[in-house]
Amino acid sequence: MKKADVFVIASIIVFILSLAYITALGGLGPLPPINVRRIAINYLNLTYNTFTPYLTVFALESVTSIVWDFRGLDTLYETAVFYAAIIASIALYRGVYMDFKKNTEKTGLSPIAKTVTRISLILIPTVSASVALHGHLTPGGGFQAGSIATVVIVLSIIIFSRYFLPIHGLSKNKALLFRSIGLLGIAITSIALLLIAIVLGVNAYIFQNQAKIDAPLSFPSLVDNYILGGSLLFFNLFEFIAVAFGFTIVFLLLSISEEKVKKVTMDG
Amino acid sequence: MYVNETVVYIGEILVAIGVFCDLAASIGMLRFPNFYVRLHAATVGTIGGAFVPLIGIALIALGAEWLGTYRFFLAGASIITAIIIIILAPVGSHVLARATHKARLVKVEPKVVDHLEEDIKKKEGDKNA
Repeated sequence: MKKADVFVIASIIVFILSLAYITALGGLGPLPPINVRRIAINYLNLTYNTFTPYLTVFALESVTSIVWDFRGLDTLYETAVFYAAIIASIALYRGVYMDFKKNTEKTGLSPIAKTVTRISLILIPTVSASVALHGHLTPGGGFQAGSIATVVIVLSIIIFSRYFLPIHGLSKNKALLFRSIGLLGIAITSIALLLIAIVLGVNAYIFQNQAKIDAPLSFPSLVDNYILGGSLLFFNLFEFIAVAFGFTIVFLLLSISEEKVKKVTMDG
Repeated sequence: MYVNETVVYIGEILVAIGVFCDLAASIGMLRFPNFYVRLHAATVGTIGGAFVPLIGIALIALGAEWLGTYRFFLAGASIITAIIIIILAPVGSHVLARATHKARLVKVEPKVVDHLEEDIKKKEGDKNA
């Protein structure tokens, strides 16, 4: 071992130890309290609590409960930002059309890679669907599941060809349609109880999941001993669709060759 | 009763094999002379060091009766992960090796035989002929 290597290792160790010492003394800002904070106790108490039926979410996953129930409106606007970003990227590519006449048999990587990718093209959506549909029970949820599902798109573009998906029926416009269905589902789920309440003539709130003291309606939370988490299941499902197809649109657009895009954007 | 214990012991042996494979793979990653041989060491790490111990964990979970029905969840998840790894890991190293060879990023030295190079030369020879 050289002298320089010894010096580097020793200085890394000294750096880590001194950083730990400074942190322990509170030199990098106040230390976090050892006790669980009151807001966290509230969330943990109310996520699934049959003794307080007018305050609980009736789902086992407290993170998803916070994201789609306690602060549901915030997440709706986050989704809206994502929607706007996708719309903006589609607008940038206006007039650029995808051609899908080429034969994909001869393009792409080796047959070994293609065969295994065909298997994983089924495995990955299965995993993402389970992440989405268990979002109210175990860590996960709509956005994560949608991101997992997008791996299929990237894989098929790299391993087969950029024409693979359009040839097999997943064009940009179809993806946009599915994405809009997902967003529409989120919107309808958020005001579903309100619409029913107007018909029945009772009180209800936007983003209401379970019944409140002055609003008696609630989403089904328990069907045949299976915990559904009320509106969380629907939100996760629709968010999954919206995110998966949103990313699909972006990757399909990015796979268009630069010359073609330049031709349209430069020449008009 | 003895069946459960036997299954757990077999599982523990598989995990121990996995530990050995991981150790061998990491030594190989540091000591092997060129990229392609080091890739071989990496594959020893994924198949011997991840697939085999996952099967072992599935067996340990199946043998652990005190886990109740949860042992089936554990075993099922381990076996599915193991299957996915054994399908995907070889393809990953195949694609890496092929791409590296095609881009000629590393010299194949020291080498015993390079079939891919021979194939390419053969194809070029056919084209020229």
